[in-house]
Amino acid sequence: MGQLNLNTVQKFYGTFEVLKGIELEVKNGEFVVFVGPSGCGKSTLLRMIAGLDETSSGDILIDGKRVNDLPPVKRGIAMVFQSYALYPHMTVFENIAFPLRVEKMPEEKLKAKVEHAARILHLDQRLQQKPGMLSGGQRQRVAIGRAIVREPKIFLFDEPLSNLDAALRADMRIELAKLHRQLQATMIYVTHDQVEAMTMADRIVVLNAGEIAQTGAPLELYHKPANIFVAGFIGNPKMNFLAVTCTAVSDAGVEVDYKGQAVVVPVRPHAGLVGRTLTLGVRPEHILLGAGDLSLSVTPTVIERLGAHTVAYAAIGGEGENYCAMLPGTVAIRPEEQVLTGIRAADCHLFDEAGIALERRVELTDIDMELLDPAAA
Amino acid sequence: MSQPALINRYRWYELVAIYVGIFVFLAFILAPFVEGFIVSLKPLSLLFSSPYKFWPENASFAAYFTMWESVPGFARYIFNSFFISTIVTAIVLILVIPAAYAFARFKFRGSGLLLGAFLAVNMFSGAVLLIPLFRLMRSFGVLNTYLAMIMPGVAFLIPSAIWLLRTYMMRIPRELDEAAFVDGASHFYTLRRVILPIAMPGITVVAITTFIGAYAQQFIYALTFNSKTEFMPLPVGLFAYFGRQEVIWNELMAASFVGIAPAVVVIFLLQRYLVSGLTAGAVKQ
Repeated sequence: MGQLNLNTVQKFYGTFEVLKGIELEVKNGEFVVFVGPSGCGKSTLLRMIAGLDETSSGDILIDGKRVNDLPPVKRGIAMVFQSYALYPHMTVFENIAFPLRVEKMPEEKLKAKVEHAARILHLDQRLQQKPGMLSGGQRQRVAIGRAIVREPKIFLFDEPLSNLDAALRADMRIELAKLHRQLQATMIYVTHDQVEAMTMADRIVVLNAGEIAQTGAPLELYHKPANIFVAGFIGNPKMNFLAVTCTAVSDAGVEVDYKGQAVVVPVRPHAGLVGRTLTLGVRPEHILLGAGDLSLSVTPTVIERLGAHTVAYAAIGGEGENYCAMLPGTVAIRPEEQVLTGIRAADCHLFDEAGIALERRVELTDIDMELLDPAAA
Repeated sequence: MSQPALINRYRWYELVAIYVGIFVFLAFILAPFVEGFIVSLKPLSLLFSSPYKFWPENASFAAYFTMWESVPGFARYIFNSFFISTIVTAIVLILVIPAAYAFARFKFRGSGLLLGAFLAVNMFSGAVLLIPLFRLMRSFGVLNTYLAMIMPGVAFLIPSAIWLLRTYMMRIPRELDEAAFVDGASHFYTLRRVILPIAMPGITVVAITTFIGAYAQQFIYALTFNSKTEFMPLPVGLFAYFGRQEVIWNELMAASFVGIAPAVVVIFLLQRYLVSGLTAGAVKQ
């Protein structure tokens, strides 16, 4: 079992509130990813769950038991550090065996366990080498081996892949996903890389300035971000934001005006919107070439051709913010040549003045079904 | 011939300047040793011959044999020196390793103050405190024992040893401690299984400096706190070559060289632990 509950967990450094009352439930066997910009408190939260940092107030429960005052081992967690933290003077075998040596496990049982862990991580041939002789990916696998050998209830990963190069990172991502399926253990993973979050997580927790901005499945965050922060954080390139004015509210949605063009965005309105300035968000990959429900004529300044896609950047409105469009790879556009782009009303996100999203009228099950079933696309 | 890297290439006059500089400084440092060695080879009668000859005539190692006869207790003095320094080094290491670990890793009230105080203590040499130390030794009743030379030696070498080792231990990534803590290891287990092996080069440096320090400073304590011949260390023992009529210079020099030999051997033995790159692969830097 590996059920984790956080009840209004707070962390102060002096008078500075790093974490502002985190409420979270992680179910047994779940792969949860904490993601957020640097300084948002995600690593601190992980270290508090691990027992490396003190919890200022609130309760951390593992399997219903309050563990605030327990040392890491007694909590039943294992942690993998960003820097691997391998013991350089010990062989791979001894590194993996370290937690078992601490608990004075009999030699035979220990050997069997270490070899089992090494097999899972394809380290069988490396057991007698020292960490200095291993590549970055192998070192990280040793660090993971040291975590799994103790069979903890909860695995904690602190940006474990950020020191690897891009190709290796992609490989390790797949290996970690496999490992999770194999071990069926609860895993909590901290990263600032949204690709890691989107690809591995059952559930993503987006943190911003010490608060949970949103919790949800990867596609839920993508299609129904709860606020401007999540909308801008999830998705790459970043979502475009346009300032619009609300002109009318109807059953069909909210009618907004952008520089004389009216468009009805299918979102659930709330009272008192008319006349207010709202923010319309649209993802670069949803911008089409040619006219749409909302049409913008822009002059691209930079065009990046990535093969599969072409990313075009244009300055609009003069506020210095780039308007970014992700177009098909072979699209015929050139820098400094005006081009007409369109946005479908159904693709739009709408945020009120406080930055809170007006809920889009898309059913998540529909999104998932659509994405799972190629025929519907 | 392989060219050195660009950053290591010098013009001919730069090379000349570098070697001239090296020669001048080395000459200053090594000349006394050379002169001492040459004196030890000369017969006593030729030492004050005039004109002075740098290169000895009738050079022989005779003084290295006669020295044992003119001062029969000399072997004992060498042993005493060696013994005192070894015990001092051992005690300092046993005390300093956990202390340095604590200063490097834990934040506790007064740690900065304590470290500052250690540095301040370092500024007093033992010689300044001889009289209070003498009274202390007398009331403990340890005058004229090995302890009288070991205790102040340990006390005055600990501060610099703590500073040295603390700096080294601070360079060991903290994640290693945290990883061991997460795996259930206690502080002492972590110190023994993780920190100690990694800090070996630093500990070796501390051991060498402490040993040399103990070797050098025992002179003053031996002179003041000990009057028994059998406990005399080497530097005091050398005075035995100062006769009533004359100083047996050649034997004195020979004795000096023989006396430092054990220390040199120890330092060479310790030196092989001074390997760098022991932390390779611990963390990604």
